[in-house]
Amino acid sequence: MSRPPPFHTLEIRDLSVRAGGMEILSGIHADIRCGEVTALIGPNGAGKTTLLLAILGLVPYSGTIRFCRAEEHGKGTPRIGYVPQRIDLDRNAPMTVLDFFALSSQRLPVFLGPSRKSRAEAETALHRVGSDHLIGRPLGKLSGGELQRVLLGLALRDDPDILLLDEPVSGVDVSGEELFCDFLDQIHQESRFSLLLVSHDLSVVTRHADRVICLNRSIVCQGATTEVLTPETLSAMYGSGARLFSHRHADGHGHLHGDGNE
Amino acid sequence: MESVLSLAYSLMDRLLPLAFTEPAFMKRALLAVLFVAPAAAAVGVPLIQFRMAFFSDAIGHSAFTGVALGVLLGIHPLLTMVAFGLFVAYAITMVKSRTGLSPDTVIGVFFSTVIALGIAVISARKGLTRNLQAYLYGDLLAISDAEVFWMAALFLAVAAYLFLAFNRILLLGVHEGFARSLGIRGRALEISFSLVVALVVTTAIRAVGILLVTALLVVPAAAARNVAKGAAGAFWTAIVISLLSGVAGIAASYYLDTATGATIVLFTAAFFALTAILRGSLKSGNA
Repeated sequence: MSRPPPFHTLEIRDLSVRAGGMEILSGIHADIRCGEVTALIGPNGAGKTTLLLAILGLVPYSGTIRFCRAEEHGKGTPRIGYVPQRIDLDRNAPMTVLDFFALSSQRLPVFLGPSRKSRAEAETALHRVGSDHLIGRPLGKLSGGELQRVLLGLALRDDPDILLLDEPVSGVDVSGEELFCDFLDQIHQESRFSLLLVSHDLSVVTRHADRVICLNRSIVCQGATTEVLTPETLSAMYGSGARLFSHRHADGHGHLHGDGNE
Repeated sequence: MESVLSLAYSLMDRLLPLAFTEPAFMKRALLAVLFVAPAAAAVGVPLIQFRMAFFSDAIGHSAFTGVALGVLLGIHPLLTMVAFGLFVAYAITMVKSRTGLSPDTVIGVFFSTVIALGIAVISARKGLTRNLQAYLYGDLLAISDAEVFWMAALFLAVAAYLFLAFNRILLLGVHEGFARSLGIRGRALEISFSLVVALVVTTAIRAVGILLVTALLVVPAAAARNVAKGAAGAFWTAIVISLLSGVAGIAASYYLDTATGATIVLFTAAFFALTAILRGSLKSGNA
């Protein structure tokens, strides 16, 4: 099956976000294309997470964010899946993976137990991300990689048109990171949602993203991955000291570390 | 109304033919605890997920001012206490979202303000302190039939609220942005939950007093967290602990002649210690 011609699934025009008298994002023009993987990169504090929150409608902004939908996908507002950074999660909650799924899939309060329907939905979703065995495990006892998959499974449960991933590989070891990205590629091939991925890791971006948006409070540049990731753009974004693949591992896996603190 | 209560009391005579339940005031106290303790513990489960123990304490201390205002205005202190508690809960939630200050900072400001206001009112009017005693330490044994009905109504209201909102509240507690991305309206939920907490806290004050009311919400839920793995387990463990502590506390206070509210709270604390030890042994057993 050949890919349909790309069209804009998400149009961001003149978007600005202010908080506490500070301009966190200003004059953002960007397009997320249908079925493509778009990577959002930038140094710490560049406003990457804020942009995701604006798309989700969770922070007030000025400007427009318009969702366009192909005729073949039917009418209505698109569904957005969201996978937050795993470090943000309250992992002390007494809650199993099944409970976590049930919280958003059943009307009946979870203290009466997960319904048959939410169990079936959880099983399907976990199977899809290859994590069937995690269903009864406490959320707080999952490893970084396991939790990622659970969060991804939950985000994919409702068949999103757009999937937003906030630093999906942060805090996961290198091999787990590659596995996760390959696996994400595979799911993406099957389901063809648009994927917007916040990442710090340029090796992940070069391998998996079709397009890149470089952000540092405003758009530094955007375009096809191979065209955008040049030394000039990177130094404009991260400062002149930064180099692409500033250190390389034997497996060809590189990081770029921006300066500044989160 | 009265016949419902007398039916309940005669039922208690049949079911609990124990010496301590013989006096009418003990029956009322027992009935009150059976309504208030599980309501407080159930609300406590999401409360500790939100780290709102300090919030609950601030609402509890607002009762100080609420009661003083009632006496000053010639309104029943119970009504002003509940109304003032709801007002403070709403104000804290609004100010927090308006200023963007951290919750503990905003609550700290309100905490001291309401106590200062209460002290100012009380010190201006001599003879008010006498009225406050019952609210500071709770007065479960002096509870009236009307108050028992109020507590039964609270129990039903909390049950209905949690039935409708429990899932969304818990999800909001795990991750706010994620919950909101699923279409959960965080603000409305936060406000409604604060108001329910305020209602429970101000009602439970009659049982255990201003100084101890937070314990009734927090300690059973905390003890449940020590041992429960799932959400349903934590919820029901907290409720069972609160009921056992309530009944045991009333019985023990009858025989030991100790303050009822304090004795109940001591039993919840004993359950906490027990579950903490259990958790420790479970952990070392796994390792």
